[in-house]
Amino acid sequence: MSNIDKLHIINSNNLSGKSYFTSILQEAYNCGLLYDSDIEDIHLRCLEFLACKSERYNCGRSSSIRVEQAESIMKSIFYTIGLYLKSLPDADSAVSELKTAIITEMYEKGRRLIKTKLHTAKHLYILVQENKLDTINYTYNATVNDEGIGSFFKLYNPEYEAHEIPASIDYQLCNPVNDLAGVEYIQKYLENLLLENEFCSRFNAEDIHHLLCSYDKGYKDLLINIFEHVLTAALGCVLAKRSVLKLDITDKEIQRLSYELSKDNDNTLAVRISKASEKVLEELNVTNISLRTYIEKSLPKITVSIIHAVRINTLGQTFVAPVNLNLKPKIQFLPGEKMDDKKYRKLINELLICRYSSDKLALIKENVKSFSDMEDVLLDAHLSGEEITSLFDILGDVEIAALIKRHPFKSDIQAVDLSEGEQALQLSLKRYFDQLATDRQETILEIVDRLIDD
Amino acid sequence: MSFEIISMSSALMEKQAVTEIEKCNDFTAQYGLTLSHQDVIELIETRNFALKSNGRIEFGGGVINKIIREFCDSPYLTMDNYAETIHDLTEIFYFYKNETLDLISDDELIEFMKNRFDGRCQGSLELLSGRELENMARNLRYGYAPNYSVDPERDKEDENEQY
Repeated sequence: MSNIDKLHIINSNNLSGKSYFTSILQEAYNCGLLYDSDIEDIHLRCLEFLACKSERYNCGRSSSIRVEQAESIMKSIFYTIGLYLKSLPDADSAVSELKTAIITEMYEKGRRLIKTKLHTAKHLYILVQENKLDTINYTYNATVNDEGIGSFFKLYNPEYEAHEIPASIDYQLCNPVNDLAGVEYIQKYLENLLLENEFCSRFNAEDIHHLLCSYDKGYKDLLINIFEHVLTAALGCVLAKRSVLKLDITDKEIQRLSYELSKDNDNTLAVRISKASEKVLEELNVTNISLRTYIEKSLPKITVSIIHAVRINTLGQTFVAPVNLNLKPKIQFLPGEKMDDKKYRKLINELLICRYSSDKLALIKENVKSFSDMEDVLLDAHLSGEEITSLFDILGDVEIAALIKRHPFKSDIQAVDLSEGEQALQLSLKRYFDQLATDRQETILEIVDRLIDD
Repeated sequence: MSFEIISMSSALMEKQAVTEIEKCNDFTAQYGLTLSHQDVIELIETRNFALKSNGRIEFGGGVINKIIREFCDSPYLTMDNYAETIHDLTEIFYFYKNETLDLISDDELIEFMKNRFDGRCQGSLELLSGRELENMARNLRYGYAPNYSVDPERDKEDENEQY
């Protein structure tokens, strides 16, 4: 009998965080707390207020307003009042407030809350910038900088568009913010991002880079959540009885772990992962309760992916062994000197008037002495697909790799801005590469990876 | 239980608007122009239709009153075409509120309409809507003054014609 909870008539689980005002009206109506006449009265009071706001919006210059604009202002009013109602102890008190309070007063209280939340969000934004991760991931950087979330503070209009989020936020959080709008969304997003940053900043930026490189070399352009990968790797390290801090786990250890975990059932696995998370927190000395809660909240998602990976024997893709791409030997390809312009023009003219493919090939073999010239000839000489393939046959793996690196195949849509010669070369190169034996393809691709950019 | 702004507003405001427009008769009577109660109700219907078809919403009932008060001294209005002209002017007004991207106030637009209706258009609603307001809306959208014209000579001729 020590805990006596007040019995609430309205089920707060049925209320929407985004449109709290309309959902509370609906729920109160369904529960019999509000009658048709109450709803009509609230509607009329809101409409009167909308008329005032619209007049202010038009600066008294126009008696009419576009419907979509009026709807947006109405949503903004609902959002602001909803924010105030949310701040009340429970939904039942919010309903009694709705019945008695004046709309403009509730709105003003909501506006004061928006102001406070905006200040908090600004402070959080400064903190996020301070503990920003050192990463090359484009989405992360674009979201955290002034053109991303920063633009919210310049464009947010609490007067007429309080419910909008005028910011470019592409970076996906591990625990996305789904049921909030306006300044509430930004505040929650920044809170979560701050916690993710705090966790990731306990690791060396270079170790995270190597981990993500191993996940995908092109992670720079991927829409990934860095925190989720780091936490997963940390759990992997604990499960493999390795130190968490370096996020260092080898392929062999992952294989062994996969074999070991496959013996457990789902529940046992979940318990093991949960224990591993406690170990991670302990090893990293995480005392921040918010961060601990956030990690706990993220765990089910990661647990599901680990269990799934164990069941289909793909744990090597969930726990990845970090790779340091800089340690792989690099190849510097020198394309050689270009021939004299006059001589090149003469060669191209000869090739253009030459009728037989065999003669063209002979001409090229005789005159072209460098890779640079060969590349130019492939682009300028209007060679047929077969002629280009014959030329590829006389090239070695490194030259083919260099061509692939410089002329990667693009789809029709991507290739729309390319010249006709460039498109023909890319297409012929792709066809030639596709018909090569698999082991030669692998060799060439490895060389492509190791080639240093020009 | 959703908020239908249009239906809520039209039901509320109609009665008030009818009274306001009927009051205008006291003022327009001096020009021999009056509207019957039925005319006023039809005018409100036209306004509602024009608002709906142009995707707009109005909270006060002031625009028809303003149009009536501005146009009642026009030499091109008689009792025979009075109600019909006000209907057309109301539709034209809301259409050009959108076309001008709300860059012009109600009073300025009505004043412009009156000047051109009595001046260049000589009482033709087709010319007012299809030429004068069209040009004015284009000027505003491209950042020029409402009266901007590429042919100043024609403007001078028009000014002379008015005297």
